[in-house]
Amino acid sequence: MTQRSAILAALAFLMPALVSVFLLRLWPAAVAVNTSLIPPGGGGYSLENFRYIFTDPVFLNSLKVTIVFLLIVNPLQIAISLALALLMNTMVPLIGFWRTVILLPVAIPQSVSAVVWGVALRPDGLVNAVLVALGMEPQRFLTSSDQALASIILIVSWIGVGYWMTFILAGLQDIPKSLYEAVRIDGANRWQQFRFVTLPQLRRPLTFVLVANTVANFLIFAPVQILTAGGPEGSTDLIMNTVYTQAFIISDPESAAASTVVLVGVVLLIVILQFRLMRAEDSNE
Amino acid sequence: MNSDKRFSYARFAVIVLVAIVFFVPLWWMTVSAFRPTDAIFRYLSPLSPWSFFPRTWTLENITGIWYGNFGRAIFNSIFITLVTVVLGLAICSTAAFALAVIEFPFRKSVFMVMVISFLIPFDAIAVPLYGIMRMMNLQNTYTGLILPGIGNGLAVFLLRQFFLGIPKELREAAFVDGMGWFGIYWRVYLPLSGPAMLSAALILFVFQWQAYLWPLLIAPAPDYKVAAVAIAQFSAEYNPNFGLIFAASLVISVIPMIVLTVLQRYYSTSVASTGGKE
Repeated sequence: MTQRSAILAALAFLMPALVSVFLLRLWPAAVAVNTSLIPPGGGGYSLENFRYIFTDPVFLNSLKVTIVFLLIVNPLQIAISLALALLMNTMVPLIGFWRTVILLPVAIPQSVSAVVWGVALRPDGLVNAVLVALGMEPQRFLTSSDQALASIILIVSWIGVGYWMTFILAGLQDIPKSLYEAVRIDGANRWQQFRFVTLPQLRRPLTFVLVANTVANFLIFAPVQILTAGGPEGSTDLIMNTVYTQAFIISDPESAAASTVVLVGVVLLIVILQFRLMRAEDSNE
Repeated sequence: MNSDKRFSYARFAVIVLVAIVFFVPLWWMTVSAFRPTDAIFRYLSPLSPWSFFPRTWTLENITGIWYGNFGRAIFNSIFITLVTVVLGLAICSTAAFALAVIEFPFRKSVFMVMVISFLIPFDAIAVPLYGIMRMMNLQNTYTGLILPGIGNGLAVFLLRQFFLGIPKELREAAFVDGMGWFGIYWRVYLPLSGPAMLSAALILFVFQWQAYLWPLLIAPAPDYKVAAVAIAQFSAEYNPNFGLIFAASLVISVIPMIVLTVLQRYYSTSVASTGGKE
């Protein structure tokens, strides 16, 4: 086979995927960049739209809410996933089944989870019934600007932690048993085994989960749009909801394009990091 | 398998308890789908066994959801997801084959650009893409709904990874036998890749079954509405019928729940193999 025929064959095999990359990612990205650089009144390229969104209180509030959300939800989900993985890394009857139960929420559409939790979080819903049964005060949850973001965090964590647990569980099962035996001979207790063997050995899966989890949480949309529409008082106005509102509710395509460029720019940086973490494993190629 | 092999009843009890806590919302959804609408909130205060087990069972909610457009929405979701899985496997596996097996210049760069582009979650780019698809008259069409799901970075990555592990000698022997590239792909690589293809299929399936923002934008017409969008609009009605909402939620959820329970092993492997395992 010649070099030329290999190139032609590769091109033929890659063509459908290359067309999809172009149509579904590169072209829309180019359109967003182009639109973002043309101010509403026209008149040549400028950064006017970016200046506008970065002085728009709604957009700035949305950035703030998104950052607060990420700072809480990422460590929380990683801690819970790690705890679940440690708990589930054992041989008890039906262990595959118990793991699946925790993984199930991720397979259900987020809109369904949002709707079901929305009913459960109503003032007369299931969650308050449980709180009252436990002797606590009923809460307002999604209708309170103090509790709405926490409620969204609860919902997306219920959805996601089983998924992230799966990565950490796989990492745990890759740790050579001999490492534990070695430190046990040195008299390490359970905490020391965790601290000096488990955690360092989990560095890669944990980093990967942190990065992939950040992308996923950055783009949370369905629960917000369905349950709060960003409210009350903008307290749950995550960035995807703001972009959606700019584009389709208040019909401001220029601001929506500028916000999309910011959004895709941030996501691109995180995804490149994610790709490098995925790649490190086949560096032997 | 490096699991703790000593059996501990305490740990077993905690595992079961945690699983139950995670399952409570799904269980509540399920039993609420089978009780009369007026009984859904009645047994919540005070909390009692009847909060979690219906006193009277009824099928009226499950039968009721099919009168409106919901049946059509479920059909749309199933149809779109099946086509996405088939097309997605074709596109991702041919691309992965070229990137793993055929030697050509700039192969690593093409791989990098492709996987990174596809790893950008589709929702991030949905607003400008909506403009393009509208220009191409793909609003309220199956094509418009299906297209975004067919290129998946994780699926390309996973399949390429698997193809790299298939010994070179096999394709060299096939070359000697006079097979072309397509023959090697179709008759050597694909038959060996069952588990990897199944994992990729699950990734594509979960993505498309979940899709919400894109179908909301591109297919608002009742004939093309998907189930994930229909349920949200159901619940946003002024005076929602909770029995119907839970019944519809159950129908939408039960399909991926069954798929995942049966194929959990493949899903977990696929997830783990993209997660920087060493």
